[in-house]
Amino acid sequence: MMALVRKDLRLELRTRETIVAMVLFAIVMLAILQFGFGTRDDDLTRFVGGLMWVTLAFTAVLGVGRSYVAEREQRVLDGLLVSPVPRTVMLGAKAIAIFLYMTAVEVVVIPLVGIFFVKGPYWDAIGWIAIAAVLANTCIALSGTLFSGLALFTRARDLIFPVLFLPALVPVVIAGAGATHAVAGGPHDMSEWRGYCLFLLAYAILFSLVCVATYDAVFDD
Amino acid sequence: MSGGAQYVVAAYAVIWLLVLAYVVMLAARTARVGRQVEAITRLLDRREAGKSGAEPEKTEERA
Amino acid sequence: MTPSSTTDGPARIPGQRAAVIWGTIATILVVASTIGVFLIAPEDADQGIIQRIFYFHVAIAIASLVAFAVACVAGILYLRTRSERWDDVGEASIRIGLLFSVLVVITGSIWAKASWGTWWVWSDPRLVTYLIVVLVYAAYFVLRSSAEDDRKMRYSAIYAIAGFASVPLSFYSVRVAESFVHPVVFTSSGANMPGTMLWWFVMSQVAMIALFIALLEVDLLGRRSERALRRLAMRLESA
Repeated sequence: MMALVRKDLRLELRTRETIVAMVLFAIVMLAILQFGFGTRDDDLTRFVGGLMWVTLAFTAVLGVGRSYVAEREQRVLDGLLVSPVPRTVMLGAKAIAIFLYMTAVEVVVIPLVGIFFVKGPYWDAIGWIAIAAVLANTCIALSGTLFSGLALFTRARDLIFPVLFLPALVPVVIAGAGATHAVAGGPHDMSEWRGYCLFLLAYAILFSLVCVATYDAVFDD
Repeated sequence: MSGGAQYVVAAYAVIWLLVLAYVVMLAARTARVGRQVEAITRLLDRREAGKSGAEPEKTEERA
Repeated sequence: MTPSSTTDGPARIPGQRAAVIWGTIATILVVASTIGVFLIAPEDADQGIIQRIFYFHVAIAIASLVAFAVACVAGILYLRTRSERWDDVGEASIRIGLLFSVLVVITGSIWAKASWGTWWVWSDPRLVTYLIVVLVYAAYFVLRSSAEDDRKMRYSAIYAIAGFASVPLSFYSVRVAESFVHPVVFTSSGANMPGTMLWWFVMSQVAMIALFIALLEVDLLGRRSERALRRLAMRLESA
């Protein structure tokens, strides 16, 4: 399993294209969203959860959508599918790779959101936001792996994947934005934060069950 | 707020109309199946007539 | 709702009788509960006539969840048996479930207009949840239309399962976010309305479930007929 994760990451480090593109994309998204508000108000603390998680959701679409393409194009997948590697291990490796991508993007995005948009206290909340982000990354990795696997062999998969993935991601965005909003810029509402984090945990558990149960069927041809 | 009867009527009308539209859709499919069955029956009839008569004619009616 | 009897030959397509029976039951129940809701059920003290939207609105919402649950089970059974039959059940259920959820969104929106004066209220969890549900299951058909045969059925089954997992998540996520809500007609301990209202609500609920079963039966009958017809046509062409 670790070998597979390493494969994904090594492939990535060699090209570096996905991760750099994802980070750039996220920054552009943040800028565009702020222009979309139509305000020159410097303090966007009220919207910070939404800004952050909309950006991360779209970045996830971009990154996860890319994650199988290399394998498809370079015929790695065919080899993997005939190899005796259990499908669940493939799933795990893919999920870990997506998780790491998202974490790398967040390392840039979370501080940047604070610098760009928050004028109140933000930095003391960053640990709490990071915990929520880790949970959300798990959710994104699991559902992203499943849906990108489904979209992989369809016609127009670049279009199909976001259509499948984004609706399933709505709860993650709601909870991620909620948790961020609860702690960013002002008094921390820890019970609200805890509620959202528990929700993210429940999402991750439920989707990991679905993934384990169905993943064999995704690639059985 | 004891007004608003029109909203209640609208809500139920929407439900009825959409469900009816769905049923009509299903009925249209059934009708199509029926037409195709008729076409096949005609084809068969003609074939049988052809067999008992001179030569079997080949007509492809169905797409 | 009566399916036309197709063949008079020996190959009788199964399920005709069930479709007719359920169609009749559903029609009677839906008509009866519409009449009951409008003419017999008592006026709600707080909300007046607007509350009458509630009966079908909630009944359809629950029936749509039943439909998605059926599709999820059909998906599991498809993956186990790989039988086309379960794919049919799954697709038909989701189509009906989607129709029902669209109805929930529309009637909910009308309700919002009637009681709050605006067509859309983001703070109403039921509207928002059903919007997400509609999006989730609309994607099912996009997925179906972009794959073929065996793969289409397999992907659909998996998506039906994953979609059903994301339904409770959408419900819960929207509700975590909300403190303030809808007129609470149900408390968690049970029904919080007078007996006759409850009676008509149960009646509407039964009617909607029956409607789901009837539509499902008719739909499946249609699919079986189409398939039988295709086999027949193939036999004829090869003969």
